[in-house]
Amino acid sequence: MRSAASKPRDMSKFTDIQIDPGIVKRATRGEAKAHEIIYRAFSAPVYSVCLRFTRVPAHAEDLLQETFMEVIRSIGQYRGDAPLGIWVRRVAVSKSLMFLRSAWHARGQSLDDDWEEMTYEAKPSDVGSDRQDKAMDLDAALASLPSVSRAVVWLHDVEGFTHKEIADLMGKTESFSKSQLSRAYQRLRPLLDVEIEQREARMAVPDSAFGSC
Amino acid sequence: MSDKEAQEEKMNCGLSVAQRDLLQARLADLEDTVPPREVWQRIEAQARAEGLFRHRLATGTRWFAGSGIAAAVVLVVLNVPLTTTLVDEPNDNISATPPVAAASTNAVPANLAALMVQSQEIERNLRALPGQPSVVRAGTAATIAELEDRIAIIDYRLNYTRLTQGEAEIYWRERVRLMNSLLNLRRAQAQRMTF
Repeated sequence: MRSAASKPRDMSKFTDIQIDPGIVKRATRGEAKAHEIIYRAFSAPVYSVCLRFTRVPAHAEDLLQETFMEVIRSIGQYRGDAPLGIWVRRVAVSKSLMFLRSAWHARGQSLDDDWEEMTYEAKPSDVGSDRQDKAMDLDAALASLPSVSRAVVWLHDVEGFTHKEIADLMGKTESFSKSQLSRAYQRLRPLLDVEIEQREARMAVPDSAFGSC
Repeated sequence: MSDKEAQEEKMNCGLSVAQRDLLQARLADLEDTVPPREVWQRIEAQARAEGLFRHRLATGTRWFAGSGIAAAVVLVVLNVPLTTTLVDEPNDNISATPPVAAASTNAVPANLAALMVQSQEIERNLRALPGQPSVVRAGTAATIAELEDRIAIIDYRLNYTRLTQGEAEIYWRERVRLMNSLLNLRRAQAQRMTF
């Protein structure tokens, strides 16, 4: 049995979005309006995932377009067993990872070179410099991670994918996924510590400090 | 660090439970980014170009044909009593109602007939226009779709609902109005295509 601590929680926004089955049915018949409704519902979460994976708005827009073209082409294959959002997310993630893979291949590198190759990224010590007065800027911290690690963090901690699922999607082993996550956490840790310290300091302030009513 | 904490940290790939909970909470709080508006227009254009969307013109052509039938059905229904009276009435019988009077009570009222003719004429004009361009403005496409949907609803009412002459006239008048709007929109679209 797995410990709750190791089990990724699904905090995905994709699963919160409900689409009327009638709309899906109309979409399978090729009705543009129904597809537009589906697009309007999922475009922001899809675009956000693509943007977090690629960091480049132009790439994210292309991936958004590719994702929805795939949805339009293949919606007939959607059986309705799981929420539509899960299926849309799977398409978006798959397109984004394919993009990352192709970019790496184009430069003659493999996904394993990710950390070694990202020389321009902020070092862990930089991330935690101004630790006394800096609020945690997680978006910036995530952006400082190499693409593949960023994708692993997002898939594991937000979308709730297991290491095995991530490994399958990336065509890698579970150890690869765990190692990427571990290294990303190592970099994010100083930021998290600052936040926790600040919280604890706030909680330690005695009631008298706030005066009486 | 206790054994339990060490175990938890190991299971969380190097983060304590508190650190991981905080990370997940903060990640979940990150706002989604809304994509630029034109992305849907690009998707729609590509899908239409690939023939993935049901072609609006094809649908329109179908309902033009259907509406023609609708018009014919209504005309026949309204004309039947008149025709029957004229054909079945024996010549040697003296009708209680003069043919002219019978005609005036059973015939399609002049204004209703005029609306039907007007509607058919607009349909002919619509059919004469070139096909819709492969790339259309999203707003125009949505308006055309809306008009076609509303006309289809009216056709359904005219075909399958028992209507009084007054009601039929109201529906036909609305149909003509919507068809005119559609014609104007499609003409504007056709003009844009020529530039």
